[in-house]
Amino acid sequence: MDFGGYYRPVGSLDAGAALAPRAGTLDARSAAHLLRRAGFGGNPGEIARYAAMPVGAAVESLIRFPNVPGAAPDDVYSPASLLQQYGAQGLRALGDVQTKALYRGIREQEQRSVASIQLWWLNRMLSSAAPLQEKMALLYHGHFTSAVVIKGISPAMIYNQNQLFRAYALGNLRELTRNVAKDPAMLRYLDGTSNVAGQPNENFARELMELYTLGVDHYSEEDVRQSARAWTGWRFDRFNEEAFFVPRLHDDGVKTFLGQTGNFDGDDVVNIIFAQPQCARFFAGWLLNSFVYNDPEPELVDQVAQMLRRHDYELAPVMSALLRSNVFYSERAYRALVKSPVEFVVGAHKALGLPEIGPQALPALRQMGQVLFYPPNVAGWPGGQNWLTSATIIQRQNYLARIVNSQSLEQSSWLHELPMQVKPAAQKLVAQILQGDAAPAAIFQLEGLLGGAGSSALAALSAENYDERVSGAAYLTMSMPAFQLA
Amino acid sequence: MKRLNFLMGTVSGLTVVANGEHVFARALAATPLPGLPGSGDRCLVLINLQGGNDGLNCVVPHGMPQYYQVRPKIAVPRGDVLAIDGTLGLNPQMRAFKAMYDKGQVAIVQGVGYPDPDHSHFRSTEIWQTAAPARYEHTGWLGRYFDEAGLPENDLFKGVAVSQVLPEVLVSNHTDIPSIPNAGNYGMLSDRNAFERRAFAQTAQDRALPFSSPYLAHVMEIEDHAQRSSEELPRLIAGYKTDAAYPATELGRSLALAAQIVGSNLGTKVLYVAHGSFDTHINQKAVQDRLLGEFSDALAAFYQDLAAHGNDRRVLTLTFSEFGRRIEENAGAGTDHGEASPLFLIGGGVKGGLYGTLPDLANTNMGNLRFTTDFRSVYATVLERWLGRPSTTVLAGSFPTLPLLA
Repeated sequence: MDFGGYYRPVGSLDAGAALAPRAGTLDARSAAHLLRRAGFGGNPGEIARYAAMPVGAAVESLIRFPNVPGAAPDDVYSPASLLQQYGAQGLRALGDVQTKALYRGIREQEQRSVASIQLWWLNRMLSSAAPLQEKMALLYHGHFTSAVVIKGISPAMIYNQNQLFRAYALGNLRELTRNVAKDPAMLRYLDGTSNVAGQPNENFARELMELYTLGVDHYSEEDVRQSARAWTGWRFDRFNEEAFFVPRLHDDGVKTFLGQTGNFDGDDVVNIIFAQPQCARFFAGWLLNSFVYNDPEPELVDQVAQMLRRHDYELAPVMSALLRSNVFYSERAYRALVKSPVEFVVGAHKALGLPEIGPQALPALRQMGQVLFYPPNVAGWPGGQNWLTSATIIQRQNYLARIVNSQSLEQSSWLHELPMQVKPAAQKLVAQILQGDAAPAAIFQLEGLLGGAGSSALAALSAENYDERVSGAAYLTMSMPAFQLA
Repeated sequence: MKRLNFLMGTVSGLTVVANGEHVFARALAATPLPGLPGSGDRCLVLINLQGGNDGLNCVVPHGMPQYYQVRPKIAVPRGDVLAIDGTLGLNPQMRAFKAMYDKGQVAIVQGVGYPDPDHSHFRSTEIWQTAAPARYEHTGWLGRYFDEAGLPENDLFKGVAVSQVLPEVLVSNHTDIPSIPNAGNYGMLSDRNAFERRAFAQTAQDRALPFSSPYLAHVMEIEDHAQRSSEELPRLIAGYKTDAAYPATELGRSLALAAQIVGSNLGTKVLYVAHGSFDTHINQKAVQDRLLGEFSDALAAFYQDLAAHGNDRRVLTLTFSEFGRRIEENAGAGTDHGEASPLFLIGGGVKGGLYGTLPDLANTNMGNLRFTTDFRSVYATVLERWLGRPSTTVLAGSFPTLPLLA
């Protein structure tokens, strides 16, 4: 992460005890913290359930997640069968106008399909019994980036990549890297299918090291060239959207890569990279930045890197240790990350106990700066402070305003049953949504709102004014600074 | 100064944020380097001609027979070109723009591009916006300008993107730039009552919180900006009146808002506007002619409006496009992604005329025009000679400036 806008919490690290497991039982505050980090937040019922669990059991239940098949998206489109009907010759024979019409039709179906998959994924984040699996898929998507609709990457291809990320959610990082390297969407996104013996294309070889596994300054330009040679030979068939290896297009000469010499192929390159201590440090930093706090201390990174190597890059035991650790539950890690737009949107529905995310989330996410399957570039989304500008904050607020209304009070698992007294009602809102992370003056404002200070006539909270006041108060509670932070 | 006091006056009653540790670091980083005198009220308007504007049919080399040889279907007929000289002329749809050129308000820089050009819209747009052809950079060149310029924290509109989403060129590490596609839509949803809005403003600023976070000061600062800027904007620009006849196009509406913001003296240094799409792979003429006509008419109205308010010398407009297009037309009477192309600098402050060198139509880079002026030279010119800032850190290198500003 070489972006600006990432900040380490103040205070100092207790390096000796950082990764030791925390003893005892969770409470509402630490349960909500765990659920925000290992997922997208909890609804009040989930938080209450986790709050009664010992730390180890709570983490285990997130790590040993059930195999959740879930429903597939409604519309996973691929133009392959349509293109196959024409065939390569038929496509060449089309006039300009027909060609244009054909691809315009394809593009329209693709846009619809992408929206369907985006909405499907958001709802899966909201409702999956395996939230950590979805969180890992989202983090992988921002890390091993590919974007849809460009370079012949169809919705079906990006969906398959998404499923690959889900399958490796807590799997082996080396194996995931080997597989994602040969994933059709990735091969197209970074020009891997234009990389042939004698005319290497270095795009993937470079990003593999710079952005995916090692970071800049940990390899030479010559390593990029040699790696590109090892990756030659992959092709793509757009009539069935499969990637395949063509031995005669592969450079099977001897390569010298990161100090080793041999007739390497792509798998060998990944294996050599993962044998570098820097690779473990790189992923350790990524995990800490994603789950604990930004800009972690080098000694903490080294400890997690050792753990990764000890477990041969298996994520399940490493994530289990990280989510139980003292440093994870430390005050320095608490609310120390900025919610991404996706975390904000899903988290808002979680907090309100709403059953479903509607299509209005899609344009809203665009305006907040995060469109699923469209990372801004191969480096992924710059997070941390970069998420927050006046315009994106306004969009976040306006999204809350749109989803908090009479109908959502009805659908909410808990908002329709607040106490009818102002103080307990305000207290419950702040407890359920923010785990108490509100300033006294803010709670005072909330009480004023519930007590009718904003309406023409001051009147006690009653069935008559309940919807209007409680929706206003829920909006106000989620507008408080803590709600922007994970 | 007057502007600043005015804004401060409007927020009495709100707690002005005592900023946290990052703001302190920011203040240190933002110590201004010596600027040029007189750059104080200057403004840059950046127009992104999205999709890759075909330079050869925009600034037409009508004196070169080869142009007509490679473009039998789409070349602009010699008699239609708005001739600048015996070699070059403007697209016939750009009549109003040609009149501005004739008055010396337009500088044309020819053959602008960068080494090892990328032909992806996506990546090349990013390169133009980040000014980083050889590395991935998440801040834009104007975002870095803001980070270094040390402009008053309280100027909420020091940069404005007249667009839905903040373009990469204005992404910075430390400066909050609002994107305002139209003034009516920029704001908290109005179905919340005034009490809630006030309560939001206050709860957002209360620091007595039972936790700490490295981002808390930033969240509060941005929430304060969002609240104030969205409440203030309509009132701040309400006094501006214009008689200029803007065309009823998106670009016309965007530039009308730009002129209104400039004329309302909010301390705005940079505005961003987009126009397009110029991605003319098929039947180029109809699309590009329409877009160039819209550009020409909107620009003319914009500068009329600016001039009527005495702002035309304060505002420099710079265009860019992610690439030019292939020299040879394709079978569909369009052109594919190319490389170098001309760009425009417009305003009362420019020395009008032609700059740079027209690329050779014969000695090409696989059918594409080789660039003769590095785009970062144009940026360096704007930074140093218009905005009064050093350019080497923003551009991560030293690029010669062009003598095109008066």
